[in-house]
Amino acid sequence: MEGRILEVRISVNGVDHQSDVEPRTLLVHYLRENLSLTGTHVGCETGYCGACTVIVDGRAVKSCTMFAVQADGASIQTVEGVADGDELHPVQEGFWECHGLQCGFCTPGMIMSSIALLEENNDPSEAEIRHGIEGNLCRCTGYHNIVRSVQYAGAKMRGESPQGASQEVSS
Amino acid sequence: MTVGTNAVKRDAHDKVVGAAHYPGDLAASDALVAKVVFSNEPHARMVSMDLSAALDVRGVVEIVTAADIPMNEYGLTMFDQPVLIGVDSTSRSKVPSDVSRWEADHVAVVIAETDAAALTGARAIDITWEQLPLAPDIDSADDAAVLIHPENGLSSNTYYQFKIRKGDMNAGWALADVVVEGSYTLPHQEHAYLQPEAAVAYVDEEDRITVQIAGQWTHEDQEQIAHALDVPLDTIRVIYPAIGGAFGGREDMTLQIVMAAAVRKLHARGIDRQVRALWNREESIVGHHKRHRAQITARWGATREGKIVAVEAAAALDAGAYNYTSNKVLANLHLSLTGPYDIPNVQVDSRAVYTTSVPGGAFRGFGGPQGSFVTEMQMNKVAEALGMDPFAIRLANVLHDGDDYVTQRPMPDGVSIETVLERCAEAATWESPMTDPAQVTPIKTLGVSRSVSTGRGMACALKNVGFSMGFPERCEADVTLSGDDEIEAAHIAHAGADVGQGAHTAFLQMTAEAVGISLDRVTGTFSDTATSGDSGSASASRMTFMSGNSILGAAEEALKAWNDGDRPAMGHFRYVPPPTEPIDDATGEGWPIFAFGYVAEVVDVAVDTETGHIRVGTAWCAIDVGKAINPALIRGQVEGAIAQAHGYTLSERLAVVDGRTLNPTLSGYLVPGARDLPDKIETVLIEVPDPIGPWGARGMAEMPFIPYAPAIMAAIHDATGVWFDSFPLTPDRVLEGLGRLAASE
Ligand code: FES
Ligand code: FES
Repeated sequence: MEGRILEVRISVNGVDHQSDVEPRTLLVHYLRENLSLTGTHVGCETGYCGACTVIVDGRAVKSCTMFAVQADGASIQTVEGVADGDELHPVQEGFWECHGLQCGFCTPGMIMSSIALLEENNDPSEAEIRHGIEGNLCRCTGYHNIVRSVQYAGAKMRGESPQGASQEVSS
Repeated sequence: MTVGTNAVKRDAHDKVVGAAHYPGDLAASDALVAKVVFSNEPHARMVSMDLSAALDVRGVVEIVTAADIPMNEYGLTMFDQPVLIGVDSTSRSKVPSDVSRWEADHVAVVIAETDAAALTGARAIDITWEQLPLAPDIDSADDAAVLIHPENGLSSNTYYQFKIRKGDMNAGWALADVVVEGSYTLPHQEHAYLQPEAAVAYVDEEDRITVQIAGQWTHEDQEQIAHALDVPLDTIRVIYPAIGGAFGGREDMTLQIVMAAAVRKLHARGIDRQVRALWNREESIVGHHKRHRAQITARWGATREGKIVAVEAAAALDAGAYNYTSNKVLANLHLSLTGPYDIPNVQVDSRAVYTTSVPGGAFRGFGGPQGSFVTEMQMNKVAEALGMDPFAIRLANVLHDGDDYVTQRPMPDGVSIETVLERCAEAATWESPMTDPAQVTPIKTLGVSRSVSTGRGMACALKNVGFSMGFPERCEADVTLSGDDEIEAAHIAHAGADVGQGAHTAFLQMTAEAVGISLDRVTGTFSDTATSGDSGSASASRMTFMSGNSILGAAEEALKAWNDGDRPAMGHFRYVPPPTEPIDDATGEGWPIFAFGYVAEVVDVAVDTETGHIRVGTAWCAIDVGKAINPALIRGQVEGAIAQAHGYTLSERLAVVDGRTLNPTLSGYLVPGARDLPDKIETVLIEVPDPIGPWGARGMAEMPFIPYAPAIMAAIHDATGVWFDSFPLTPDRVLEGLGRLAASE
């Protein structure tokens, strides 16, 4: 198998790519190395931390659990592709506004899982949000602000005007 | 007013769009790959190492060994660890280079064109080892005939000790109406920052060997590299890009020195290509230090009225194979064995012991969690023995302004533990506990089980701010003001590390405040030894305190220059806090600490006595932060600290057996997920100004971690009547403790 090269066609963030990859190349490495999309992170490479989460054909997928060749023909969205020009996606805005990140290493994966969750249900309960991001570990925040970020984004996506932490008055 | 507002983190935008660059995102496409080879030997002497087959592997460019390290030693507070283990060292270090004392000791760095070639090269290195006896834990290291560091001239593996001798123990025991004894075992904890170790290194445009890495103290990394390579300090440059969490786990060296050595060796051969390195999760967990294991015994005496009159304690800290910061961690643990209490008669003996296991080192709390666990367990047990309220007994014993610390010198002013306890009790309605125990169902999906017992517990702590014990503390800042008539913009240059906590945002806020302009007019250059003076590390809950004082000084200098007509106007300042002193070897007397932070917590838990599952309902945390520079970021620190303490107490079980880490994966070592945490964390921020803190600010990021474990244990005792003196309390251990499962080995 060593040295065998396969051709894949993958659409990433709306751009079509035709690339030569080795059969064992993981999707996450394809994104990071072939396409230089380093916003998708690697925290474990064993499917446990969720830092590598991207959206493949509408579903949140841990891109370290998938080979690039398995994504042949698929349409993929990464964190670099969710903003609309300079306008942040509501989920990105939520994480920005509600202090949903500290070191930020989990953030791209969290954002992608949250987008997938909200696209299915834009008014999730707190329990549903926690369930939806259960596959994404965060070692910094304790998740509370992440949950609020998703709630903020949900409100925004429902057309309500959410309240962010930066407007709050401290006690 | 900028200080006191919830400014959004300056790096948040880049982080939400995927544009922030961590050390693993920086390498040029033609970078060479460095693979660090671990010894995989907890204790063995290298007899020979043959590189010939490895050098023949196609794509292998170079291999760095001990022979390439002129001063083959490093260590944050003691040079006791070889950079590379090898037989051909010509180093002047007195640390023998040919002995591996830890499975993750480094033996070589293979530099290759590709990851695959580097890995093949690493596997082709042929090493012969002579096994040495193991001493993998404190007990075996205590009676082992084997000395792990014979070069230190000591006759045992115990290499660092502290004592406290205060008052008269016989008089204390004579006053005691009750005596409570306990023996506690504290577990390892893994940092599990989400970003595994990574670095790129190269020679920069000014011929400096440059390492870009995630660390906690750029200038210390620079010094450690320069020491080992025996080169002038200014030939080394260290830069921190975005850092994916640290928590103390990046305070010591991992890739810093070996990457610099790799670049240096290539440069000497005329190869000036970038070199990159990346550890996988297993290498990360095996390859860096942990929160220390410890064994601690304590014996407390109290009067019927609840006054603690005698404390005797003995602590042994498993330092592992190398010191790292163990001697400093030990100092903190030692002093926290009497907590925030005024106790007249005290005898404490603490020691650090070398073992052939993973080194212990810095981790949020830095010895405080271990020492305070014992103190708070003892306090709660004494309360039980006397039939006293845990809140009341604390109030009867806490320190106040003007009291002496256990080191028999006055406490730094601003002692607020009484207020902190009161505010915590008030928030948690301690007087009428457990309003809604149904909230704390152990397994939510199963509904309320009949076997659920609920309980509530309390604990508190103090934690020193800053390097203590006579360390020459300092922190530098440079502020530049520009404009014509009015100050239009300010720039802050600071080396302090933003490990995710938001330090750089706080620096910008404090600069805006000190200069008197709005936050959007302030920019910064951070974490680069080439552009800033030494800041000291992002650790010891010191960064806001120290940087704030340095910024205040630099802003004042810059404003003076501005008023003298300078354009741009520059100010440099080096803040030095009141000097501390080491404690006396025989008595523990001295003035070791210049500032403290104070914290108290109450937790409600439910224990399912059938399954052993524990669920935390609400955790209240009252914390004195002096002045909240950015309340939202501070709340984030409280929540993050509690999440880590939750894992420490209930799920994070690192199996280190015979010097080997058996579960170095995130599937085997369970850090809490979004559904595991307390249902609610209620943070009460208190602002009792620290007289020498910037705007009154105290350090705070470690403190909320500390009381959590003992508060949980008190709540479980309240629920079940059983005291758990060791943890993590995984369900099997809970059932064992409740007598529902035979004790396992
Ligand atoms: S890197 Fe894919 S789940 Fe951790
Ligand atoms: S913000 Fe650091 S891991 Fe989530």
